[in-house]
Amino acid sequence: MDNLSGRLARCFETVFPDLPESEIQTASQQSLSTWDSVAAITLANVIEDEFAFQLDFEDLADLDSFERIHTYLAERLPPNQN
Amino acid sequence: MTVTEALKVIRAAPGSATEYHVLLACGFTPLHLQTFLTAHLQEHLPTRKVQTSVGLFGNLAGTLESAAKSDPHAIAIALEWADLDPRLGYRSAGAVTPSVVPDLVDQARAMLDRIAAAVEGLPAGIRVAISLPSLPLPPFFHAAGTQESQAELLLERDLMEFASRCAARAAVVNRRRLGDESPCAARHDLKSELLAGLPYTTVFADALANALARLLTPAIPKKGLVTDLDNTLWRGIVGEVGPAEVSWDLAGHSQIHCLYQKLLASLAEEGVLIGVASKNDPEVVSRTFERPDLLLSADRIFPIEAHWGAKSGSIRRILDTWNIAADSVVFVDDSPMELAEAVEANPGLEGALFPADDYEAGFRMLRRLRDLFGKERLSKDDAIRLESIRRTSVVRENLKGGQLSEAFLAGADALITANFTDADNPRALELVNKTNQFNLNGRRFLEADWRRTVARPESILMTVAYRDKFGPLGTIAVIEGTRGEDALDVSVWVMSCRAFSRRIEHQCLRLLFDTFSPSVIRFDFAPTPRNHPAREFFASLTGAAPEGPFALERARFEEVCPPLYHKVEILKESEVYG
Repeated sequence: MDNLSGRLARCFETVFPDLPESEIQTASQQSLSTWDSVAAITLANVIEDEFAFQLDFEDLADLDSFERIHTYLAERLPPNQN
Repeated sequence: MTVTEALKVIRAAPGSATEYHVLLACGFTPLHLQTFLTAHLQEHLPTRKVQTSVGLFGNLAGTLESAAKSDPHAIAIALEWADLDPRLGYRSAGAVTPSVVPDLVDQARAMLDRIAAAVEGLPAGIRVAISLPSLPLPPFFHAAGTQESQAELLLERDLMEFASRCAARAAVVNRRRLGDESPCAARHDLKSELLAGLPYTTVFADALANALARLLTPAIPKKGLVTDLDNTLWRGIVGEVGPAEVSWDLAGHSQIHCLYQKLLASLAEEGVLIGVASKNDPEVVSRTFERPDLLLSADRIFPIEAHWGAKSGSIRRILDTWNIAADSVVFVDDSPMELAEAVEANPGLEGALFPADDYEAGFRMLRRLRDLFGKERLSKDDAIRLESIRRTSVVRENLKGGQLSEAFLAGADALITANFTDADNPRALELVNKTNQFNLNGRRFLEADWRRTVARPESILMTVAYRDKFGPLGTIAVIEGTRGEDALDVSVWVMSCRAFSRRIEHQCLRLLFDTFSPSVIRFDFAPTPRNHPAREFFASLTGAAPEGPFALERARFEEVCPPLYHKVEILKESEVYG
């Protein structure tokens, strides 16, 4: 697991404490019933806390899985944060 | 606090703890305001599990009108302009043209009336905190932003009338203090409001949640303040310059001492005990207190310890006279060394440095003192506290071997008023939550829990007021328990230390036996670090100091009860107590 994946997984653990560790990297809004709109914004806030990086609200609708969020962050974070 | 930290606080709550249910009433999507409110309350209530529910989106008044159904312990109301009329928000398409402004103001006033009525109609046991609109009005009024338009002023006027009305039932967040902690410009997140429904920045949601949580779980105010004199109550060293030359005014560049005296005068009138600990010549101090321009008159101060001994010893004697613990007291002195010596010798004592030459620090200290002694409401018991302490010291001078003589007790003209209908008296809970020495088990209550406890059909509540020829002590004892077939179970019994040695505790038991006729009273006693006076009293009845719950048979009480000389007045509901 790369550094970014590990940190992102911690964010998921914080927001979805009942999600088994083995399922974090495959988690998506479809697979996780507790990933509702409130959880999505909470997750965005926790990611902002973790990475000191402002997410754009308009992008939230597309950030609907661990994988997509990982890709989004990898493209935008400075290289030393990846 | 960040969202991540808030989630961790919430997650760390004890899972098996008793729930503390809070309703967050707001017209917008609460999102992390809810998270932060839960987290801040959880920090204030570490032994409870805080659960926060939310009301109806866009219908704050409706949420409040139906709030009692969910039976919350507390309600936090985050009011915003859009709750008064959607046109005052950013998510509505309703126009705010000059021609509709009068209607808009009328609608807002009507909604404020409706919300105020809903707040007033909430059951008494629910604690309520309200934050007034904290975001700027949208720029739809005719004046430039640098000028208040008449419509904005009318809205503000109606809002203040609303707040004043609600303050009789609820705690209202101080907008000026909130502004100090969170500037207006850093509060509104328009994008978040339009896209997610929450109008607040994360930082402001945290600040507002913290402010609401503090009002829902207020700290117990300190009871006494001990002040130094030279360069604290006044500027100058009175032993060197003489009473006429110490100052507390603008001319002497010593106005900060005037402000301090004004605050102390207010505190004294509010029932805070004020004492003096000063290394000084007592005769010079006495002459200084004769100056008519002192804002804190000498008769408001008791006792005055002015001599050359250590201040830690002075404070110990003052605490003894007041009969309160060090952690209920603040000591103010301009010398860091004196403060450190006093605080070290009196564990729990809170020290406050008087920064005479630093105006900003002086202002911060005045605000800190106000916060430490702040009370939501004043009672008549507050007004008589100092006089009753003075009288108690007279009584204590008559103690011989810890007891008052039979002649003294018989001649005291004591009147005890037992009130069995006092469930709404806030003094009862105040006494329960601040009494340490004569306290059955040290149990403390949140307002909602207390209300629920005394509202049970089987519950009995007795408050006791006392007066004698020396004057009134006010309400000085509270007993709460439940009635069984042939027994009374007492869960709460506190009595003010000012009431010791007068056999009031015996009279309380006499009243319980006579009123409810149990053959036995069971006490849910638990030893605490400070309740040895209660323990010693129970030992005098049963022959052994209790280690836990115990029972007292009526026959045993009759055997050991000493003569009681009080006249007794009983206030009770005959339909309840027969």
